[in-house]
Amino acid sequence: MARAGSSRIRDAGLAPRGRALHDWAAARMGALRSAASSLGSRPLAGLTVAFCLQVTPETSVLVLEAMGLGARAVACAGNPHTTSDAIAAHLAASGATVHAWAGQGAREFAACARRAMDASPDIVVDDGAELSVLAHTRRAGPRIVGGTEETTTGVRRMRALFARHEARYPIIAVNDARTKATFDNAYGTGQSAVDALMRSCGLLVASRAAVVAGYGPVGRGVAARLGGLGARVIVTETDPVRALEARLDGHSVMRMSEAARVGDVFVTCTGQRGAITARHAALMRDGAILANVGHFDVEIDVAGVRAMAVRTRRPRANLEELTLRGGRRVLLVAGGYVANLVAAEGHAPEVMAMSFANQLRCIAHLARHAGSMEPGIHAVPREIDEGVARDALRAAGVRIDSPARRTPGPAASA
Amino acid sequence: MASRGYRVRDIRLAPQGRRSYEWARDHMTILNNTMARLRRTRPLKGVTVGFCLHITKETAVLLLAARELGATVAACPGNPMSTQDDIAAFLAKSGVHVYAWAGQTKKEYDACIASVLSHGPSILVDDGADMNVMAHFDRRFSGLKVLGATEETTAGVTRIRAVERAGRLRYPVIVVNDAHTKHLFDNRHGTGQSTVDALLRSANLLIASKQVVVAGYGWVGRGVAARCRGLGARVIVTETDPVRALEAHMDGHEVMRMADAARRGEIFVTCTGQTGVITKSHIMSMRDGAILANVGHFDVEIDTRFLLKKSHRVREVRPGMEECTIRRGRRVYLMARGRLANLVAAEGHPPEVMAQSFSNQLLSILHILENHGTMGRALHRVPEEIDVQVARDALAAMGVRIDRLTREQARYGDSW
Repeated sequence: MARAGSSRIRDAGLAPRGRALHDWAAARMGALRSAASSLGSRPLAGLTVAFCLQVTPETSVLVLEAMGLGARAVACAGNPHTTSDAIAAHLAASGATVHAWAGQGAREFAACARRAMDASPDIVVDDGAELSVLAHTRRAGPRIVGGTEETTTGVRRMRALFARHEARYPIIAVNDARTKATFDNAYGTGQSAVDALMRSCGLLVASRAAVVAGYGPVGRGVAARLGGLGARVIVTETDPVRALEARLDGHSVMRMSEAARVGDVFVTCTGQRGAITARHAALMRDGAILANVGHFDVEIDVAGVRAMAVRTRRPRANLEELTLRGGRRVLLVAGGYVANLVAAEGHAPEVMAMSFANQLRCIAHLARHAGSMEPGIHAVPREIDEGVARDALRAAGVRIDSPARRTPGPAASA
Repeated sequence: MASRGYRVRDIRLAPQGRRSYEWARDHMTILNNTMARLRRTRPLKGVTVGFCLHITKETAVLLLAARELGATVAACPGNPMSTQDDIAAFLAKSGVHVYAWAGQTKKEYDACIASVLSHGPSILVDDGADMNVMAHFDRRFSGLKVLGATEETTAGVTRIRAVERAGRLRYPVIVVNDAHTKHLFDNRHGTGQSTVDALLRSANLLIASKQVVVAGYGWVGRGVAARCRGLGARVIVTETDPVRALEAHMDGHEVMRMADAARRGEIFVTCTGQTGVITKSHIMSMRDGAILANVGHFDVEIDTRFLLKKSHRVREVRPGMEECTIRRGRRVYLMARGRLANLVAAEGHPPEVMAQSFSNQLLSILHILENHGTMGRALHRVPEEIDVQVARDALAAMGVRIDRLTREQARYGDSW
C-alpha cells in the first residue's frame, strides 16, 4: 500500500478523480451543509474524530465538514470491500489521515481500525461498531468521550456488548433517528439494491419473483423498489407483526423454505445470519440470483453454498456463477458482501445528507455535552432529528404548515 | 482493413466479449427455442444478411443465430456511440463481417454501413433506417438485389414510411417494431428499466421525491414514466397528441406544456422520436442542477448543440455526465451528450426482452425469404402467427401456463 503522509491508501494520484466525485455529491447534500453552518464557529476545534465509515463521496463530504468545524480527522473503512480508492486519495490530499483501500483482507481491515484508534480519538464515528467494540474489548482509547453509530447492525452489537461489559462512554444511535432510519435504510438501500442488481446482472426485473428476506426499514424499501420495477415480491420474516405488515402492503409472505423454490432473485436484509442456507440454495431454480444488502456477509451462507458447487465461473463483474450437482446454477452477487455498496455506489447523496447531518450534529452534541451524558446507548435528541428534517425540506424547497397556535376556547377551558 | 472482412477497435477484447455474449445467450431462452426448431434445416444457407443494429451482447446472439442457420452475416452499428467494443471483437473472431467501434464520426459511421452493403446482402435488418436509406438512395448500391428488409425501431419506421409514401420503396419491409411482442415489451419494459438503470449509473442520485419530466407518452414514455414512479419519482408528462396526453393524465401523471415543465423538472427524459423537444428557451428557464437525458433513437430531441457549444463552461463531472454552465450559478447536466442514454450510459435492454424482439426479427427474415415474391414494394406488419408464436415461446421460457378457450367459449366468441 502507498504511504501518503501518515495515510495508507491505494494511490494518491487518484485524488483529482476523487475530488470530482466529492463535488458531485457535495452539491446535493444541502441538509448536511445547513447542519454545518448552524453549528457556529469551530465547535470541534482541538478534537480528534475517528471515522470508521464506508469510504464513499458522501462520507468524504461529512469528514471535510467536520474538519471545517475544527476537527482533526482520521478515517478507516467500515467494510473491507467498499472503499472508493479515489475518495481515499482525495481525503488524504485534503488533510485527513486515511487508512483504507478497496479489497482488504480481514487482517488488513482490523489493522486499519487499530491504526485509527492509535490516533487517540476523542470521538469515534462507527458504521458497524468496529471502533467501539475495539475500545471496549481491547484497549480503552484513553481520550474517548463519546461515539456515534450509523447502522442497525452496529447498534445491535453494542447493545449485546453492553449486556455484558460496562459501557465506557455514551454512544448516540444515529441509526435510530427518524430522519435516518426512515430514509437512509428504506429509500437509500431500496434504490441502491435495485441499482446493484441491474449493474451486476443486467437482467429484466419486471415479471421476476423477487424474494426479500426481512421486512425492517431496509426490506420495506427494497420490496417497494423491486415492485416498482415490475417484480412480483415475496417477503420472508420471523417477526409476526412485520410479516403482517408485508402482507397488507400487498406482498406474498411465506417461509424461506417455500420461497426458495419459487424465487428468481433473493435479497437478504435481515441483520441476521443464515437467512439463506445451503439447504435453501439446494431447492432453488436454475439461475437464481442471491444478493445480500445487510451489513455483514453472514446472511447468505456463502461458504456452504460454495461448498456445494462443482464448478465456479465469473460471467460478469461482481457476479459468481456456482453450478451445483445436477447442473442447476446459483448466481451470487458481490460474494455475499453488502451488494448495494460493492456492486453499485451505495446510497444516493440526498439521503446520506440526512444521515450525515444527524452525524455531524451528534458529534457536535457530544463535543459539548458528553461529560454530562451517562455511558451507554442514547437516542438522537429530538431537536436534532427535527432540525435535520427541516433542513432537508428547505434544501428541497418544500414549505410545510406549522401546528395551529393553541388558542383558549371552550375545549381548552373545559 | 476491409480485406480481413472486419474492422473493430481491438480484437484482443474477444474473450471478454465471449463471456458477455454467453451471459446474454443464457437469458434469451426464447430465441434458443426458436433456434432448436430451425437448426436442422439451416434455412439461411447461401443467404447474405446485412445487420445495422446496436452492437450489444444481445445482438451478438441474433447474429450468431443467423450464422448458425447458414447465413453469411455482415454487421454495422445502428448508432455511432452504442457499440460494445468487446462484443464487436468477439463477433469478428466468430466469423461475422463486423464494422463497428464505439465513438464513430458521422463519416466512419456511414462508411461502416457501406462496408456491410458491399457484401451484397439480399436481406437487410435495420434499426433506425440508415441502412435502408443508403441502399435506396446511394448510387453505389443501385444494383443491389435486396429481397426484403426489416425495421426494428419507431424512428426507423417513420423514415421508411416516408420513403414508401414518396413511391420510392424498392422492396418489401417488415415493421418488426409494430409486433405486439416487440413494442409492448422492448419499448416499454426494456427502455423503461434501462433508462432508470442509466440514470442510476451515471448520476447515482435519489429518484424518490424527484420531479421527473417524461417527454412523449408512446410505449417508451409509458415505460419510463412507470419505472420512474416505481422508484418514487413524481412524474410530469408532456405530449402533443391529445389522446396520449389524456392517457397520461388518467394514469395519474401530471400533464403540462414543456415550457411549464421546464421550470419545475429536476430530471428530463425525452422519448418522442421528434426533433427540438427541449430547446434553448426551455433550457434557459430550467433550475440549477437539472439533468437531461434522451432515450429516443436520434440525438435531435434535446438542443445539445446549444448546451455543448454555447455554455460558459462544459466539463465531464462523472463518466458520461457533462456539466454545462449556461449562466452564472445555473448548471444543466447532459447525459451521454444527448445520445440514447440507456444504451450509452447503461447496457441497453435486458436480454429477456431483446430475445422477444429478435425472435420476431429472425422469424421475419425467414418469412421474407419464403414470401418475398408476393409481398410487393410495401410495408408489412409482422404476421400474426409469428407474433403469437413468440408470445407462446416467451411464456414457455418463463414457465407460465395459460388457459385455452373451451369449445363452448370459442363458439360463443364466433357467434353474433
